[in-house]
Amino acid sequence: MASFANACRLSARLTARQLRQDAAARGFRSSAKVMAAQNFTMPALSPTMTEGNIAKWNVKEGDSFSAGDVLLEIETDKASMDVEAQDDGIMAKITQGDGTKGIQVGSRIAVIAESGDDLSTLEIPAEEKEAAPSPKKEASTPKSESSSESQTEATPTPSSSASSEASAKPAGKPKKQTYPLLPSVGHLMKEHGIEESAIEKMSPSGPNGRLLKGDVLAYLGSISSSYPAELSSKIEKLTHLDLSNIKVAASAPAPAPKPKPAESIPEPVIPQESEIAVPISMQAVLDVQKRIQSTLGVFMPLSTFIARATDVANDNLPRSKTQAATADELFNQVLGLDTVTTSAGVRGTFLPQITALPSADPSAPVKPAKQLDIIDILSRKTRSTSSGLASKPLPGLSNSVNVFSVKVPKGDEKRAQVFLDRVKSVLEAEPGRLVL
Amino acid sequence: MLRSLLVPRAAARSAFKKSSSLPAVIAPSSIARWSRRGYATEAEEKDLVIIGGGVAGYVAAIKAGQEGMKVTCIEKRGTLGGTCLNVGCIPSKALLNNSHLYHQILHDTKARGIDVGDVKLNLAQMMKSKDTAVSGLTKGVEFLFKKNGVEYVKGTASFAGEHEIKVNLTEGGEKTIIGKNILIATGSEATPFPGLEIDEKRIITSTGAIALDKVPESMVVIGGGIIGLEMGSVWSRLGSKVTVVEFLGQIGGPGMDAEISKAAQKILKKQGIDFKLNTKVLGGDATGDKIKLEVEAAKGGKKETLDADVVLVAIGRRPYTAGLGLENVGLETDEKGRLVIDHEFRTKLPHIRVVGDCTFGPMLAHKAEEEAVAVVEWIKKGYGHVNYGAIPSVMYTHPEVAWVGQNEQEVKASGVEYKIGTFPFSANSRAKTNLDTEGFVKMIADAKTDRILGIHIIGPNAGEMIAEGTLALEYGASTEDIGRTSHAHPTLAEAFKEAAMATYGKAIHF
Ligand SMILES: Cc1cc2nc3c(=O)[nH]c(=O)nc-3n(C[C@H](O)[C@H](O)[C@H](O)COP(=O)(O)OP(=O)(O)OC[C@H]3O[C@@H](n4cnc5c(N)ncnc54)[C@H](O)[C@@H]3O)c2cc1C
Repeated sequence: MASFANACRLSARLTARQLRQDAAARGFRSSAKVMAAQNFTMPALSPTMTEGNIAKWNVKEGDSFSAGDVLLEIETDKASMDVEAQDDGIMAKITQGDGTKGIQVGSRIAVIAESGDDLSTLEIPAEEKEAAPSPKKEASTPKSESSSESQTEATPTPSSSASSEASAKPAGKPKKQTYPLLPSVGHLMKEHGIEESAIEKMSPSGPNGRLLKGDVLAYLGSISSSYPAELSSKIEKLTHLDLSNIKVAASAPAPAPKPKPAESIPEPVIPQESEIAVPISMQAVLDVQKRIQSTLGVFMPLSTFIARATDVANDNLPRSKTQAATADELFNQVLGLDTVTTSAGVRGTFLPQITALPSADPSAPVKPAKQLDIIDILSRKTRSTSSGLASKPLPGLSNSVNVFSVKVPKGDEKRAQVFLDRVKSVLEAEPGRLVL
Repeated sequence: MLRSLLVPRAAARSAFKKSSSLPAVIAPSSIARWSRRGYATEAEEKDLVIIGGGVAGYVAAIKAGQEGMKVTCIEKRGTLGGTCLNVGCIPSKALLNNSHLYHQILHDTKARGIDVGDVKLNLAQMMKSKDTAVSGLTKGVEFLFKKNGVEYVKGTASFAGEHEIKVNLTEGGEKTIIGKNILIATGSEATPFPGLEIDEKRIITSTGAIALDKVPESMVVIGGGIIGLEMGSVWSRLGSKVTVVEFLGQIGGPGMDAEISKAAQKILKKQGIDFKLNTKVLGGDATGDKIKLEVEAAKGGKKETLDADVVLVAIGRRPYTAGLGLENVGLETDEKGRLVIDHEFRTKLPHIRVVGDCTFGPMLAHKAEEEAVAVVEWIKKGYGHVNYGAIPSVMYTHPEVAWVGQNEQEVKASGVEYKIGTFPFSANSRAKTNLDTEGFVKMIADAKTDRILGIHIIGPNAGEMIAEGTLALEYGASTEDIGRTSHAHPTLAEAFKEAAMATYGKAIHF
């Protein structure tokens, strides 16, 4: 059955369309050498929104962002909402800073460039807006000079708001209807010679502010101007369950004494990670190293041995418990077929952490209580007896015993153990084979 | 050989206190937590505990899993999918499809140039093929649970406290689950007919009707709603003499457009089903060889006795909340047994919500599904939405009947001026090609704005075609919007477009 995962995100996802529109517009103007940026305008976050305030930009000029990043927070009289980036890009310029109020939907608030664009050679496009009065300070933008080509070539000066004002240009028309017009609407408008700009003056009555055929008819005066809205509110009523006038059944037997609500809410689970550690003697490796040097005159660093041992040990490990099973495996489980599968090994990606133990005392610390009861270990006050060595890092490897450890999610201990045992056996038993 | 160690990382530090690479600080609080956890035996708390693994419950469970919630779904049936997958939508449609094939081979393929020799019904095999469909789908749901990390508990749930659910495990034993949020999705059951004891062999509900082991000679269906007509169709096609007794003056239930309902009745009658409308069943006697049903005209008048081998009780379904222990937490139902909720599906204990058949709204699987998604969104994000004005209904007889939005009776009653456009399948090229031309498309639009108010279809493939109508309604479209949208030729959907054209202008082909 269907999924409706994204049915109601509060975040605005309008930017993609804006980008595409703006990108199309820029095709006419950008010269070959200079990369053009794109205007980023105040989005309409709800059908009724006409203007908004910028609460806060979450990116700075020059910042790169990727699709899904929250670029800024916008406030209207009703709500505040995050605006997400739909594509990757770079914030070239913020033309309306934090706290700017009363910005008309469709007016530019920033200029964004594509990922990889060089901001220093970037062409800042003209602002594409007209009729809609912009924020107060821009109200006097001269319209007459705006169509000249030269203005669009202006190079940006990062902080000048003047440049954006100067290059303002009433090129496109603000569209409240950001989706294609319904076929009936488009047809009626053509038939009656209505300019697209007149859409501004129509009041959409459809779901989510969609402009319907009836709204155009009302605009034309063929039907009463309030009728579409009346009809909409009738239809709107049908979209809800009628939960008025519920007749509650007479309560049957007297409710049992109210049980106490469960009080204790369990603590959040702490991340369950285990560390598996195996002490490994490097003596055999050192012997081999010495022999190679004396016979071949080549110095083999210990790291080479360890890297190769790791490589060998990672091969063909048992499958991780935490690794999500494949769809086939899950289905086989449902069908009860999982017992017959012979799961092949999987290559691991372990990288052991190596800690040298002081050579004087190679084995003592690695023999704690036999029963590895977590609680016991935790409650022992071992820390206070620490000899201070802990704070003094031991550089490099000890030539006798080193502790090789890996951290794994709970459940994968066995896998890590197999890995470390293999490292141990190759390093201790026959390290020569690693390099010969 | 030195022993290797398997210890959680905090302990590792104390063991290797002289080593340097391990983290230096561990918050005392987390150690305390560890030790508490170590001894904890109390039930673990889930973000969401769902009672019922029907469409409402399982969809909510999967959705919640996808949203990263810790979710448990408790189902007592032994398989997931509830009424719909086990004894409802799916098995009934399997039988409808196969009985239609059988009926077609018997009566129709010859005219199409397909001579089939000896046609025999193998009912056991037909039931088996139905069961295969059902088990494939219920296992599929179980798979989706695994995939989305939903815990599935088999057992019967009841409220032990406001956050505490006691489960009587199917395999024996008991278990308590604590839920931060609890969702009741216990569904519905067939409403019994007073005085007729259901044995699911001779006096049956839909559950018995999808599992009869032989074709009864005669069957009386009490209730001419969708379920009654679908199951009546199945057994009529397989050879039963079926009589439908309906209290109201129309079949298909009150939601069906009256004009469509009349057309459906005519067609089904031609197929061999008898109808007794405006007729009340007074009572029955099942002691003899045949069951005797006493009926009389609803407005009073002559009594009559009907004989039947099997009586199907299909007078509706009622919410099922038995054994749930609602009284333990003081939850209310209305007079019809529906759990009382608000617009966010909350009961008066706001962490307990309800969706699906056990609460208000039409008892439909896709309505339950919409609500299931919305309720998880309410819990998770504080906003969810279901448009109850655009939920389609389908009756899977042949031809199918499907509708969305208001019917003509309702529009008339609302006082809105309206226009109607219809287009018959007998004028549709594809229907003609298929020799399957019964039925028509009917659109109802606001007279002034042309906005679509309702769409009603009786005809081949109506159930698939209604999706377009639902979309149109959802978008607030006018009939002209549909009329100006290209529909492939030759398809049945062209009838849909032509009906739209007939509403705001004129159909081309009629
Ligand atoms: C014959 C028939 C045909 C139908 N055809 C269609 C159709 O074509 N299209 C359509 O949309 N709808 C159809 N329906 C309706 C559809 O089946 C229901 O609307 C749908 O199943 C409702 O889903 P639900 O999850 O609310 O309830 P259900 O599917 O009834 O699921 C509720 C589940 O909760 C479980 N439960 C109840 N109490 C407890 C408890 N205390 N502990 C644990 N588990 C519990 C029950 O065992 C059940 O499995 C049909 C119904 C029938 C009977």
